[in-house]
Amino acid sequence: MPFRVLDRLEEILITTMIGGATLIIFLAVVQRYAAGFRLLYPVVSLIDLSWAQELCIFMFIWMAKFGAAYGVRTGIHVGVDVLVKRLEPGRRKVVVLFGLLCGVLFTGVIGTMGARFVYGLMGTDQTTPDLEWPSWIIYLCIPLGSYLMCFRFLQVAYHFWRTGDVPHHDPGHVDDVQELDGKQAIAAIETARAP
Amino acid sequence: MSAALIFGILIALMLTGMPISIALGLTVLTFMVTMTEVPIESVGLKLFTGLDNFSIMAIPFFILAGTFLTRGGVARRMIAFTSSLVGHWPGGLGLAGVAASALFAAVSGSSVATVVAIGSIILPAMVEQGYPKRFGAGVVTTSGALGILLPPSVILVLFGVSTNTSIGALFMAGVVPGLLLAILMIGLTLAIAWRRGYPRMKRATWRERWHAFRESVWGLLLIVIVLGGIYGGIFTPTEAAAVAAVYAFVITVLVYRDLRLRDVPKVLLSAANTSSMLLYIITNAVLFSFLMTNEHIPQSMAAWIVAQHFDVWTFLIVVNIVLLMAGNVMEPTSILLIMAPILFPIATSLGVDPIHFGILMAVNMEVGLCHPPVGLNLYVASGIARMGISELTVAVWPWLLVMLAFLVFITYVPLISVWLPHHLGM
Repeated sequence: MPFRVLDRLEEILITTMIGGATLIIFLAVVQRYAAGFRLLYPVVSLIDLSWAQELCIFMFIWMAKFGAAYGVRTGIHVGVDVLVKRLEPGRRKVVVLFGLLCGVLFTGVIGTMGARFVYGLMGTDQTTPDLEWPSWIIYLCIPLGSYLMCFRFLQVAYHFWRTGDVPHHDPGHVDDVQELDGKQAIAAIETARAP
Repeated sequence: MSAALIFGILIALMLTGMPISIALGLTVLTFMVTMTEVPIESVGLKLFTGLDNFSIMAIPFFILAGTFLTRGGVARRMIAFTSSLVGHWPGGLGLAGVAASALFAAVSGSSVATVVAIGSIILPAMVEQGYPKRFGAGVVTTSGALGILLPPSVILVLFGVSTNTSIGALFMAGVVPGLLLAILMIGLTLAIAWRRGYPRMKRATWRERWHAFRESVWGLLLIVIVLGGIYGGIFTPTEAAAVAAVYAFVITVLVYRDLRLRDVPKVLLSAANTSSMLLYIITNAVLFSFLMTNEHIPQSMAAWIVAQHFDVWTFLIVVNIVLLMAGNVMEPTSILLIMAPILFPIATSLGVDPIHFGILMAVNMEVGLCHPPVGLNLYVASGIARMGISELTVAVWPWLLVMLAFLVFITYVPLISVWLPHHLGM
């Protein structure tokens, strides 16, 4: 149950980040062009969106760090599996498990390095250039995201050890794209043509 | 020496099948801890600063736009439009498929998205009309590859970011080769269909054509917004991508109403998933190229190659062979991010135009997408067509041969790539 809450939080965070960043940059572009019109200028110029780029970058970095952890769960991180596929099942299991544990190791090390880095920053009053937010809060995504990713690798490794399955992402499968049979496909094309 | 060691560790780790991003990062860690004095803390910082670049953010935006468009009925309307134009020729639906792929490629940055969007409609329709499945699958797999050559293209953004080349100029440079390849593919498809007597569609009336155009015009406008906006200096490629994402949302949810508002979070999540995966490879690839530069590997390789008096053409052949071989084991993003920082300094020191080199790499990636064992287009198409990979491999070879010939052409005639951006003064 607590895992389910974590899963949901992770999904909500990355969904909000990508949606928010898109909206912010879109509004910044609109604002810049609205300011070009003499009539709108007095109103629009009051809004200062010079921080938009910085915020967008931060939101995407946060999305990337937590999204990478989500990606372990969905199995989207691809590797070179040409050789592994040819191994006999017993050896294959050892090699795949080794790969997953390397993931645990790497993300664990990075998380710890990030945590030490953030801890060092907390003592300073360093802020970000445009938003002037404390830097350590922004950098917090490195330890948090990496540790979460480490946890996801552990989960996947444990599941693999128990069942022999790893999550697999199918890039060809898109929800909401319904599979059409031949007649439906023809009809779909024809209806868009018929006046 | 250190180059051999670094690549040795990297290849050994990659062969275990672990994610390429992890293999890259772990190589850097291992090498730095054991062989260098570089403070390890700088690695942690690089994981953040590696992404601290507004140009990179074009990638999640373009992916988001593509995710919206794949789910909406944009592809269907584009197929209807192209089929109203060329449907009455021999192999009409196939031709319409190639042309619609080119149009869809011009609004989406990825090949796979193009294969999914166009293939899931055109393939069942072709089979229904009596085409052999092989023919349809061959058309869909290869013409989807146009996605990374015709702008916007995630691969070109990555090349621009990792080599400091103008992304706008790269996008413009992709237009002529992309159209040329589309024409070549249409030619081949037409020739095969003509010889084998494949079915034609009923010729559309001008009224039907106009209607189909009006229906698809919202999608087509996106091409104008992205390319026109970047070329006209209205916005940067990243801003164009954000505008494209919002525009894609507006047309699929509000104009065409193919997607309900409550499905939007799912689209966002799926786009975030793909983007994060790419951004994670990018961070680790940045670490890797930091290590390479730190060890002076690209520079010493460049110096060695210049000292051997290699001429440009021999070098480019070698580049093509290396990239095609890499295409046998890795997917395009990783190849590009690992290879571009190494090959690019060598290429420029030999006098290759940066933009030409970018297009050359993109075409190589295109070929890699369409052949086994790792060609992603092939896997996606095999899912849609329900065909085995080996059967599909046979099915794509005529188009693949054309692509290889095209690659040679692009390699030795730089003018095709650089003419438009230079002409536009970029």
